[in-house]
Amino acid sequence: MNETAVATDFDAIVTGSGITGGWAAKELTEKGLKVLVLERGREITHGVDYLGEHAPDWKLPYQGKKPRELYQADYPVQSGSYAFNEATRHLWNNDRLNPYHQDPDKPFNWMRADVVGGRSILWARQSYRWCEQDFNANRDDGHGIPWPIGYRDLAPWYDYVEDFIGVSGQAEGLPQLPDGKFLPPMGMLALEKTIKQRLARNAPDVTLTMGRTATLTQEHQGRAACHYCGPCHRGCSTGSYFSSLSSTLPAARKTGNLTLVANAVVEKLAYDPVSGRVAAVHVIDSETRKRRRYTGKLFFLCAGAVASTQILLNSSSAAFPRGLANSSGVLGHYLMDHYSAFGGVGLFMDNLDRYFHGNRPNNTYIPRFRNVGGQDEDADFVRGYGYQNVPVRSDWFFTMNSRGFGAELKNRLRKPGPWMWMMGAFGECLPYRDNRISLHPGKVDRFGIPQVSASFQWGDNERAIDRDMRKQGDRILKAAGAVMNFSNLSAEPAEQPGGSAIHEMGTARMGDDPTQSVLNAHNQAHDAPNLYVTDGSAMTSSSCVNPSLTYMALTARACNHAVKQLAQGWV
Amino acid sequence: MKRREFLECTAILFTGATASQLGFSLSEEQRVYLAAAPSYIEQKARYLTPQQRATLAAMTETIIPRTETPGAIDAGVPRYIELMAQQWMNDEERAIFDNGLTALMNEMQAEFGKPFEQLDEMTRGAVLQRMEDAVSDHPWFSPGSIMGEGFISDTPFICQVKELTVFGFFTSEVGGTEVLRYDPMPMQFESDIPLGAEESSWSAGGFR
Repeated sequence: MNETAVATDFDAIVTGSGITGGWAAKELTEKGLKVLVLERGREITHGVDYLGEHAPDWKLPYQGKKPRELYQADYPVQSGSYAFNEATRHLWNNDRLNPYHQDPDKPFNWMRADVVGGRSILWARQSYRWCEQDFNANRDDGHGIPWPIGYRDLAPWYDYVEDFIGVSGQAEGLPQLPDGKFLPPMGMLALEKTIKQRLARNAPDVTLTMGRTATLTQEHQGRAACHYCGPCHRGCSTGSYFSSLSSTLPAARKTGNLTLVANAVVEKLAYDPVSGRVAAVHVIDSETRKRRRYTGKLFFLCAGAVASTQILLNSSSAAFPRGLANSSGVLGHYLMDHYSAFGGVGLFMDNLDRYFHGNRPNNTYIPRFRNVGGQDEDADFVRGYGYQNVPVRSDWFFTMNSRGFGAELKNRLRKPGPWMWMMGAFGECLPYRDNRISLHPGKVDRFGIPQVSASFQWGDNERAIDRDMRKQGDRILKAAGAVMNFSNLSAEPAEQPGGSAIHEMGTARMGDDPTQSVLNAHNQAHDAPNLYVTDGSAMTSSSCVNPSLTYMALTARACNHAVKQLAQGWV
Repeated sequence: MKRREFLECTAILFTGATASQLGFSLSEEQRVYLAAAPSYIEQKARYLTPQQRATLAAMTETIIPRTETPGAIDAGVPRYIELMAQQWMNDEERAIFDNGLTALMNEMQAEFGKPFEQLDEMTRGAVLQRMEDAVSDHPWFSPGSIMGEGFISDTPFICQVKELTVFGFFTSEVGGTEVLRYDPMPMQFESDIPLGAEESSWSAGGFR
């Protein structure tokens, strides 16, 4: 093996430049550390490389129809995302070139970006705090192991992160959805106002609030307010939503302490049994296939849950034959995602004479209302779920199979039709030991690295949540005044593969007990004090709210801890 | 300079200035900045014969005719469908398209002694309606069946042409800006404003 040892004076080496890697880069460089960020995707530049931004339909290949054969051949997993199309494809991972193994009966969708900034460019930007009940859930109902931290530990870090990224939203004073430091909320459509009023009368246990989103409703931290063009996932050259490229990486660069290397595939970490520390990271250049070895003092894994765990599993040594920092044997286990389903799709004939101007990149949210503060008597499941409600003023796109021809058809299709309100639901997923990723015993990727093997299935609790999502969804749609609900209440749950919510987490969970967990209360490996893992893999349970804000808060908190440990000579 | 112009210009300028730097890591295909690219229909189609083109064009114009606003031919829909048959359809869909077009042309000669495009408007509408009625139990007509950018592969010929005509028209520059309303840079979100009875939808590109 030809490997160049790169003599480095990096204080910290961060793997991944996505939503958590960017935060680690910012925090560590701002605290004066010399930081190397390794990103396996290619280099792209904020603004310059958003190749699909502001392109009208008529300039898209096929005017927006998707090239199905290409997607099937090269992007069978990634193309399942709503954000995957010809205006964004260059940001995503090519599945053919980057294979992984799935248990055919227990599939798992692994969604990946392939660029600097990672999925922070493509994310849906919904930003919700966890609540005290979320952190206590494992302890209280016995699923999984207790969290080593509570809401009070993370609250100041939520404040800190929100201050920087900018989250617009409406304070509601709900215990199950703590308020944050919000920019002004986006406005509600006429239909949403109507529904909110009706729910207040007919379903007062349910709160409808404007989505809390890391999209700016006013100028913030030198970034412009949203211009409401619509498809954020194409990239935003005005930096009006939070991404590593628009926010954290520029902040890190400003310190002069950042070195970012793209096309850098991390193969493994090297553990030094004498010092009991991680000593180096082994990297393969995806373009030249040259191997390099970087040494440093602190190591942060921020590659996303699956990739970070893959790296640890592939970093076995005599000291850790089952994978680095895996003396507990739980590494790779307890893979979670959110259970996603439609709670209902309602047709509304209200407010047909009201309309909107601009594309709001955000929806309304119904926070968890089941098992809040304790178990509901009529609930045959633990934990809960929330609804993210997409309002659609139907148009030609939804009705192009209309009958008839000629001027009458043309006139009918050009005008807005009735409103639809689609209740997309995310439910909490319990941590199951058998849901796991491991290294495939035989298959390797194009770099010779063992492929990830994933196996995931939903449990009875998630299926019970699905049934309740549709039952309560139907109640809410009736209370809201829908004239019809398109969803089928009596059907069996239509399960999507794990990973479809793109909220994969677990696999290197936090805990106080080193025999049951990989990381301690500060995202620090029990087995190697200079190793921190701060992406979704650290999660001990999943809550039902979108996780990225929590990953960011955990990362900032872990960086603070690591730098203190470094200063005190502990790591 | 208005903010909108600024945004559009900077995007284009940046691309021009850095294309050579980016070249090493981007394929030819990836290097295209879509907003600065030519429209999809600004390329040569070479799939149909002149006779087939004439019949297809008349079909699209019968589906979406020029009224006080532009119609399918004004919007380049015939070219769009020919390009889609040439570049996008799979073999099964292309065979349905080819056979359907040939069958229609033969039937018109047999029934009327002249091609579809030479029939009067009312007869053309009646022919298409007859074709639609003959396949009206196909899943293509199920509510919501064609939401999204997919395609049902065994979609009958008349439904293929209708779907691609409607889609091609409302996603065209002419259809999107002159029949629908288009505002690529709204700058603000007005959540609740009046809608006149004759006002069109916004061009649907916003969320894709």
